[in-house]
Amino acid sequence: MTSKSLLLVSGVLLTGTAASAGGYQVTLAGQKNNGMGGVGVGLSLDQAAMFYNPGALAMVKDRGVQVGVNATMARQAFRSQYGGPQRELKSNIVTPFNLYAGFGSEDRKFAAGIAIYTPFGNKVEYADGWEGRYSLTGIDLKSIYVQPTVSYAVTDKLSVGAGMVILAYGAVNLQKDIPVEGAAGAQPAHVELDGKATTKIGFNAGIYFKPTDKLSIGASYRSKIDAQVEGGDVTFSNVPAALGSRFTATEFDATLPLPATTSLGIGFMPNENLTLGFDVNYVEWSKYKTLQFDFRGNNGAGGLVAPSGQVGGSNISTSRREYKDAVTLRLGGQYLLTSGLTVRAGGSYDFSPVEDGFVTPETPDADRIGLTLGASYKFGSFGVDISGQFIDLKERTQTEAELVANNTADRVAGTYKTRVLIPGIGLNYTF
Amino acid sequence: MHTLLKRTAPALALLALAGCQPELDAPGADKGSADFSRYISVGNSLTAGFSDGGLYLEGQQSSYPNLLAGQFKAVGGGDFAQPLFQAGQENGSGYLRLAGFTATGNPITANVTTNLAVRTTTPQVLYTRYDAAVNNLGVPGIRLSDIQTPGYGSQLGNPYFERITPAANPLQTYFLRVKAEAATATFFTCWLGNNDVLGYATAGGVLNATSSNAITRTDTFQLKANRIINVLTANGAKGVVATIPNVANVPFFTTVRVAAIKATFKASNPALSLYIQTSTGVREATDADLLTLTSSAVIGTATPGNPFPVGAGVGTATGQSNPLPSQFVLDAAEQTLVRDATTAYNTSLTAKANEKGLAIFDANAFFSQIAATGFTTDGVSNTAAFISGNLFSLDGVHPTPRGYAIVANEMIKAINAKYGSSVPQVNPTDYRGVRFP
Repeated sequence: MTSKSLLLVSGVLLTGTAASAGGYQVTLAGQKNNGMGGVGVGLSLDQAAMFYNPGALAMVKDRGVQVGVNATMARQAFRSQYGGPQRELKSNIVTPFNLYAGFGSEDRKFAAGIAIYTPFGNKVEYADGWEGRYSLTGIDLKSIYVQPTVSYAVTDKLSVGAGMVILAYGAVNLQKDIPVEGAAGAQPAHVELDGKATTKIGFNAGIYFKPTDKLSIGASYRSKIDAQVEGGDVTFSNVPAALGSRFTATEFDATLPLPATTSLGIGFMPNENLTLGFDVNYVEWSKYKTLQFDFRGNNGAGGLVAPSGQVGGSNISTSRREYKDAVTLRLGGQYLLTSGLTVRAGGSYDFSPVEDGFVTPETPDADRIGLTLGASYKFGSFGVDISGQFIDLKERTQTEAELVANNTADRVAGTYKTRVLIPGIGLNYTF
Repeated sequence: MHTLLKRTAPALALLALAGCQPELDAPGADKGSADFSRYISVGNSLTAGFSDGGLYLEGQQSSYPNLLAGQFKAVGGGDFAQPLFQAGQENGSGYLRLAGFTATGNPITANVTTNLAVRTTTPQVLYTRYDAAVNNLGVPGIRLSDIQTPGYGSQLGNPYFERITPAANPLQTYFLRVKAEAATATFFTCWLGNNDVLGYATAGGVLNATSSNAITRTDTFQLKANRIINVLTANGAKGVVATIPNVANVPFFTTVRVAAIKATFKASNPALSLYIQTSTGVREATDADLLTLTSSAVIGTATPGNPFPVGAGVGTATGQSNPLPSQFVLDAAEQTLVRDATTAYNTSLTAKANEKGLAIFDANAFFSQIAATGFTTDGVSNTAAFISGNLFSLDGVHPTPRGYAIVANEMIKAINAKYGSSVPQVNPTDYRGVRFP
């Protein structure tokens, strides 16, 4: 039964993700952790430690395999500064996933494993005809990291670990309307940018210290990777023929930083059944200064001679982001109710890396509160974990005057409010 | 375990659908101290919705009074009737459309000549009459100095006014028509006076004081402005008075640049420069001189018997240049006349509006700012540039639907500030700029 379910889950693995931490970071890497507000750096719960703190892997008691998948259901409301109807996203369900396999040596000194997870992603798709369509109609950003990991217990209280982080798959699809119109009744022009990122390598490292049975401390660092798209496809539609010479691009290059994350965590085990965790994540979002697209190619120039690679008469598109480094605080715990059933709860507070007047429709970010619940049931070597998260983003308003003052008028003025619901399920097998 | 999942998953999904969707409060709508139940608009081509060198159905539907009336409905506004051209005659007077670009990127325009609303061409072009009641009293071409001219709405007068002037009373003046409508109106907009200086400017300042399109005397302007505002407020109606923008900021005068023409001439022969005819003789053009949009069709064309193309020359003496005729140039001296008249007109309008406690839309300040910095909205950059700027139509003077939308919004801001109302604004990007073939 379980192996069949495993196959079922892996069938939906190759999908995108949706924002569930600040910016376009996604912290949904382990079902047990998800139920506990996303803590995990100071704990050694299971193989998901490879994501949260590779240093803790050697302290994980069992060898095991686990898969997990979440369904993020974002609901957003937007009202333009100019009034008019409330705008909402098209209902998309995206499914961040993870897979871990971990093995330990007989003497429990060494552990090794492989982790596959989706630490960054973002998908939003606005309803047709919304006023921000010239800024964005939809974005789908995906990343899949593969991480071979080793961990070593220096003493029975101290362990270290590291992994090679491979950006195995990255893709971006971004679409928006162009403010030029053809004949009466025709749709405005539209551009789609679609590209795959080149494979890049970074690392993940951590240290874990458990001085007593009741206390554990961990620290981890996952390095930055620049997701680079080279030669992505540029596709226009509905461009009036007379403007063909200004829309000649066929390819684009772009770089998006997937920033470094430093985490500290503490675990308390006041008794055998109760585990509490507290984490702080520090993400170096300040690396995200601008989003720039460089255009190339010549699609025939509409019969006119013109410089090649143009989008709206320009070879380049630059948009200010100016993110700032951001902190997330997490708190959670689990309680072993019966020998098979564990229940969890937690919460998080995520400070947005996006400053006032810099909110874009692609990442309508704001400080956010997360509340989580979770449970596990274990029967024999098999276990099932479920989790549910409710994320509430603060209402956020920016005016056209603020945008103009910041030189960020390429986005829309108005008020955003977002909520996200994220159920998740995981299966594990220990041996 | 399976049963737990089966029960939980649908419950969570239901929660997502029902409880998760955030709701943002709709902006409040309040009429404040104004009463929008019967709104009338008084004005010229801008009020009528003139665009692309003509009056046609789409422009009428995008006229700022119509957009305003649509927003007034949220705060108790009533129906707003316009003398719309009917289906089959929707192209009205005809208008300019963009047909393409030349190899050097200059726009090519063409006239739309189908589905016009022309009912006769004698004694002049007259349009299909509209005899039902109207709230939009915008008459393309009308000057403030014309409002008390008997017969201005006759078959020999202004054809746009003729089509809405009662057939039984063809000599009714615009003033008396407004007076009759104002008797029952509760709210008005008044944007008159642009044509009292525009005709002089677009004719390159060649008109002398006796011409029917000369600059209106400022004392005449003040007299007529006071009269129309007095009659609009006689019944206690509240409203907005708009000032006159300096026409030197519109693409009609800013698209063809002296420096660019000189550069073109010099590229073919370094000795050549641009020469213009002025009221005081021929001289080399300077960057302070404004060339009309219509000049682009004649500059550089050949003149039989003259070695230089139109506008080009090497000196001012006879035979050394082929100066651009004065009607295509608003030279620095003429610009001063235009600016001084505009300033005087606006002083009159503002003083009278303040005397009556009316809201003021300072169109002059607003369009000066547009010319300087543009106007961005919803991720779209709009400027005062010809064609690419989105705000001005192909005649280089009148707005596009998007241009009218931002005018409507500026008026709403003025109304809300004056009357403590909260009339919602329109979304400018819902309205088009220039259409491309």
